[in-house]
Amino acid sequence: MASSTSASDLGPGTALLLLAPLTVLMAAILLYPLGVTVWTSVNNGGFTLSAYADLAQSTLFLKVLRNTFEIAIGGTLMSLVIGYPVAMHLAAQPPTRRTAYLIMVMLPFWTSILVKSFALVAVFGNQGLVNQLLGFLSGGAIKLPMMFNRVGVILGMLNFLLPFMILSILGSLLSLDRRLILAAETMGAGPLRIFWRITLPLSMPGMIAGILINVTLSIGMYITPALLGGRQDMMVANLVDFYTRQTLDWTAASATAVVLLVLSGLLVALLGRVRGAAGLSEAGA
Amino acid sequence: MNELFGSSRAARRITSTLAWLCYLFLLVPSLIVIPISFGNPGQIEFPPRQLTLDLYRQFFTDPAWWGSMVQSLLVAVATTLLTLLLAVPAAYALARSRLPGRRGLQGLFMMPMLVPVIVLGLGLYLQFSSWGLLDTTAGIILAHIMLTTPYIMVSVLSGLKHSDIALETVAAIMGASRVTIFFRVVLPQLKAAIAVGALFAFLMSLDEVVVAYFLTGTQTMTLPVKMFSSIRWELTPVLAAVSTLLTVLSLLIALGIIALQRKTEASS
Repeated sequence: MASSTSASDLGPGTALLLLAPLTVLMAAILLYPLGVTVWTSVNNGGFTLSAYADLAQSTLFLKVLRNTFEIAIGGTLMSLVIGYPVAMHLAAQPPTRRTAYLIMVMLPFWTSILVKSFALVAVFGNQGLVNQLLGFLSGGAIKLPMMFNRVGVILGMLNFLLPFMILSILGSLLSLDRRLILAAETMGAGPLRIFWRITLPLSMPGMIAGILINVTLSIGMYITPALLGGRQDMMVANLVDFYTRQTLDWTAASATAVVLLVLSGLLVALLGRVRGAAGLSEAGA
Repeated sequence: MNELFGSSRAARRITSTLAWLCYLFLLVPSLIVIPISFGNPGQIEFPPRQLTLDLYRQFFTDPAWWGSMVQSLLVAVATTLLTLLLAVPAAYALARSRLPGRRGLQGLFMMPMLVPVIVLGLGLYLQFSSWGLLDTTAGIILAHIMLTTPYIMVSVLSGLKHSDIALETVAAIMGASRVTIFFRVVLPQLKAAIAVGALFAFLMSLDEVVVAYFLTGTQTMTLPVKMFSSIRWELTPVLAAVSTLLTVLSLLIALGIIALQRKTEASS
């Protein structure tokens, strides 16, 4: 870009001087601790992969891994199914009204996850708003346990994931050429057919980006399962904490963290490829 | 006209019902804490049967709550200022030099955004326990500088991309020194981008819980960590007052960021 304006370019010496402090900090506070984690996972009085072998045989780890995939994939699919019509609704609004609705979608994005977790307990908990209403309507006969179990984790997850999904899909829908739909309609296509043949396929890049962002975000979730789930809903991040604080087994904690790091690294790489291919650079913004 | 659905009324009605249910689900949990916070101090109650400020009184008179709030604000302010000090010059160097390997450095600065926080929390915990930085304010500030760097980076780099490079060239040709150019030509154009990044970083640090949960102890506990253990173990109604204060603060910051972004869009 700046190939012609060399007068405003910094020399390599100045550039290094300006970059050095942050680079040193990042090496010390980001790369080094990651290195320590990897090292702790393979060092037990000498190099060994026994921590990973132990994990592969641990029923707890395998159950937690299954939970993580179930919750991450289930939460993402629900977020897709709920988020899609919302993105369509937003795309159909005139710009000023769309901005107003977008603020509602973005509000949870700006709210502290602890505030949201507390509020979800207040709304969906056993003494919460929904159960009070159900109890009132049914004369105390119905009480739905929606917190501190799988339902609670999924509700918390959806509240967190939906804005990312909605914004990704909205990006695709807004760039869709609407004359295609008018043309299809003129030629007699019904609404379902227009949706299946035009809207859905053309919004695929946004959907794929949204799915990958959601899975990446949910796979490392710690707060939501810890606060809204039960003992049965532990995810990988909670297991890292469990090994670190409860059993003080830093080797197992590190190995679990490395597994999570690799999983999310793969997802991020995949996301980068998809975004590159689709030319979507700021779907999440 | 609503071309997206063709002209089907039914399709439009179904979508808008679903959408409104979803808006409610996203909105209500963030807002419901406000009425609860003015209610009964004995238990979490909605709708509140009486209106009082008791929960706020409890919050501001209990040193465990109030102190963690002060600690959080202190950490967030220090983090924001120090991250700016480190990241703005670095972003400038990335954007205006042809140093080999600058892509790699940029990747390094963005990395905290991509690594699961629990992994960073554990790594820093292992590292800080041997460096003697556990349960220190300096430790948590260092960690938060690392975590907030990508957000300031993104904002400042995009500000530099949109700023007028010709002005810098002219200033250089007319004999202005590097330092003068940076402070008199570059920084004034970056004001809004820096402010957006700073607000983002402040909010990130203020709300950050996972890393703080690993690194802080009784001496240095931040507000999110205090809230986390409170939601987990006691679920006191004071949480509603804290949540309301935090939500109002987040909203103000969000509005500030939106206003600043509007302003930069309008001027460019």
